[in-house]
Amino acid sequence: MSLFNEFSKGVIRENPLFRLVLGCCPALAITTSVENGLGMGAAFTGVLVASNIAISAMRNIIPDSVRIPAYIVIIAAFVTMTDQLMHAFTPALYTSLGIFIPLIVVNCIILGRAEAFANKNSIIPSIFDALGMGVGFTLALVLVCSFREVLGAGTFLGMPVLPGSTPAILMILPPGGFITLGCLLGLLNKFQKKSA
Amino acid sequence: MRDIIKLALFLLTVTGVAGAGLSYVNGLTGPLIEKQILQQKIDGFKEVYPQGDKVENESANYLKDPHDPGLKEVNIAYRNGIPAGVIYAVESKGYSGPISLLAGFDIATAKITAIKILSQRETPGLGAKAQESSFQDRYKNKNSAEALEVTKKAPARENQIEAITASTITTKAVTKAVNAAREHFTIHFAKAKQPGLIRPGGTQDEPI
Repeated sequence: MSLFNEFSKGVIRENPLFRLVLGCCPALAITTSVENGLGMGAAFTGVLVASNIAISAMRNIIPDSVRIPAYIVIIAAFVTMTDQLMHAFTPALYTSLGIFIPLIVVNCIILGRAEAFANKNSIIPSIFDALGMGVGFTLALVLVCSFREVLGAGTFLGMPVLPGSTPAILMILPPGGFITLGCLLGLLNKFQKKSA
Repeated sequence: MRDIIKLALFLLTVTGVAGAGLSYVNGLTGPLIEKQILQQKIDGFKEVYPQGDKVENESANYLKDPHDPGLKEVNIAYRNGIPAGVIYAVESKGYSGPISLLAGFDIATAKITAIKILSQRETPGLGAKAQESSFQDRYKNKNSAEALEVTKKAPARENQIEAITASTITTKAVTKAVNAAREHFTIHFAKAKQPGLIRPGGTQDEPI
């Protein structure tokens, strides 16, 4: 498979949120504003690229029987570093994402890519795989965020877009997350079936 | 047996390397994070008591007696070396988590200068409106002598605070925190007729 294919499969064909339905926890919890979505996507992509590189580089020396604990340690280390870097350099974003930065550790997409891709492929394809998955997840988050922020707060990236209307607060509350994600998944499945 | 030792050693190496990497990043970001937290605090102080030129944490002097558990810090703002204002860090329980805020008081006028919500986890669109200045301004210039009350209608009396629509619990939590600070302020600072009576360090002179 070409490198571009490794990249693009994560964006569309195997989009982690919409096609693999992984990473739902952050996708439901932090998608209240587009800014959160971009921040979470960036943090996630950074961790995924770093962990894919590390795991791919060590794929021949990690003993099979302890690979999962080894992956978790590697991922947790990168997440903690990201957490501290964000705390130091982007404090506002750090505050609004809160607990969901440390929770990237248990994000199943990252462990999933380690297990399904990085431990079988060399470093360069692993980087492209990580970038593709990261971009795919970020786009998916931003899509969910856009619906929720516009409908729930009447703003897009903080700028008012629906002047004179009362935003539906429900959309930025937890039920709004489930409603949006459910509707988007349903619609995507409908179109997928048609084109197939 | 040899296998177990080999695996354990491998994991030990991985965790060791990860730990080393973490300590490096921590050394890099630790001071920055500390600076940021301090800066946020200083900015907060400036917002609730803009007239001070120096703020000192004097909790050790003022919080040694039994006090409201919500009171976390007592900071004194000095102007030209004389205590001019008091800034309290207070916490109380909101609708969905702790609310922490700063409340500033002016010693000369015995009034609330401003409050600032530092962190809260209230419902977005409802209680989270407490973070907006339109709400926090409702506490401005309130007299510190009288306990503040929450009202659901337009405030009729000076000591009333209009609740955020559909978020009375949040408003009450904020008001409770401000009241705790207000009470402490009335006991320790408002009685002193001139601000000069309180010296840095918190000891009070004999009445002249």
